[in-house]
Amino acid sequence: MKKFLEIFLGIMTAMGGFVEIGELTFMLNSGARFGFSLLWVVALGTAGIIVYCEMAGRVAAVTEQPVFNLIRERVGFNVGLVTLIAANLVNILTCAAEIGGVAIVWQLLSGWPYRWLVLLALLFFLIVVWFFSFHWIEKVFGLLGLLMVIFMITAIALKPDWTLVAQNFVPNIPRFESSQEYFVYAYFVVALISAVMLPYETYFYASGAIEDGWNPSDIKLNRIVVILGFILGSTLAVALLIIGAQAYLPRQLEPQLPGAATLGVAAVFGKWGMLIALGGMFFAFAGAAIETALSSAYNVAQFLGWPWGKYRPPKKAARFNFSWIIVFVLATLIIITGLDPISVVEYSIIFSVIILPLTYFPLLLIAGDKNVMGNFVNGRLANILGWFFLVVITLAALAAIPLMIITHGGKG
Amino acid sequence: MQDYLDVMRQVLDHEVVDANNVPCGMVDDIEMECSPGKQLRVTAILIGPGAWADRLPRIVGKLAGKVFGRHKTRVPWSEISVITERIKLKSRASELGLGKADRKAGKWISKLPLS
Repeated sequence: MKKFLEIFLGIMTAMGGFVEIGELTFMLNSGARFGFSLLWVVALGTAGIIVYCEMAGRVAAVTEQPVFNLIRERVGFNVGLVTLIAANLVNILTCAAEIGGVAIVWQLLSGWPYRWLVLLALLFFLIVVWFFSFHWIEKVFGLLGLLMVIFMITAIALKPDWTLVAQNFVPNIPRFESSQEYFVYAYFVVALISAVMLPYETYFYASGAIEDGWNPSDIKLNRIVVILGFILGSTLAVALLIIGAQAYLPRQLEPQLPGAATLGVAAVFGKWGMLIALGGMFFAFAGAAIETALSSAYNVAQFLGWPWGKYRPPKKAARFNFSWIIVFVLATLIIITGLDPISVVEYSIIFSVIILPLTYFPLLLIAGDKNVMGNFVNGRLANILGWFFLVVITLAALAAIPLMIITHGGKG
Repeated sequence: MQDYLDVMRQVLDHEVVDANNVPCGMVDDIEMECSPGKQLRVTAILIGPGAWADRLPRIVGKLAGKVFGRHKTRVPWSEISVITERIKLKSRASELGLGKADRKAGKWISKLPLS
């Protein structure tokens, strides 16, 4: 019974923690611009994150080694350092966007000035991460993020053509009138892959496995949680895309603010629906802000061999604790300047895709190394899928910046 | 069973833990000794910014040295007890002069509640 509850909570936490501000924005916009035609990319990205998070969790359970230990071990100090700097810049940008998202949600609820709410959000995060355990943070923000299920109910209530929805899970490219529109479509393909496969999720997941004290007996749990949790989580992403296609596309509207996501819910369920949606968004954004800040601290500590982890008393892992505090402060300084959180997250998502191959390649090498993994080494399926997704994300990484320039950040 | 040790792959850039399994750095460089007519011998592992900064391109290494300092700790090879994915030492970090920065930062952080 205890094991069952653990698996259930793990799945629900993974589901509730799946969506963050970047995913929410890109899913809604994708639906609003291209209807259901990008659903196959969500499915592809979900399969990719399942493959690599399963590997990261398995490697962490067997070797007790998190991602940045492995990156340094396998690609060496110099390439590893470049990956670390890029990963943490992206994490800080993502964290800034999430803090901005939290402040926007609070502003919609209270009407208070945005900049004061950003500072209040910083205080909130410092208190929560300092005083609460990893387990508590992971479960509370993951489970309350499940309020986002209101978006799934809304998507169903908007009565999409389910045959058309199902058809679009098969890779397809719609016909456009100009080549520029094809480039914009390609930009959205790259952005959605990145939004679903954000690298911090892997860093956080592997570090979390060590925080929770996983060992090889947890490998089955890892597999079930990753597969079911992420598939259910991606249904939230699919629901957002459907809302974009059903509520915004027919009216030629492009949702530019995170708050716009709640309008589709409000149109169906009124004020209470909107409040639940805002609650879900708060926990989803806040959870992601904490994950990105902790991920950055994990990355630096693991790369340089410092003691790390929320399970250690702060004075026993002092530099690790200073690191996440610094990340929260830097992210707040970025967002308090008045930069639009959506623009920040768009950049962070496009830059994320560039570091994906550098993150996943060492993971694939070590998960496939029999000397290190013993009986838990990658099977044939994991290897085939791992190499397939490595090719996919490498192509996406090569195309990301040119597409961003050609399409003016997806604006056409 | 492997009967040799590939120090570049199995030691360099691996995590170092002390006798209590507390992380105390990474193997940032390896010290070797060689004299005419004798075999090349690994004598120590080096830990700290002074060791890794030298591995960076020259200008970046100089800059890193200015920001992070040039100190490095030499841990004699004889201090290593087990080599797996981690390099485990026989002594505690403080006895070898490792983890000083964390202990210093720990003094600051211990002034905060619940630290």
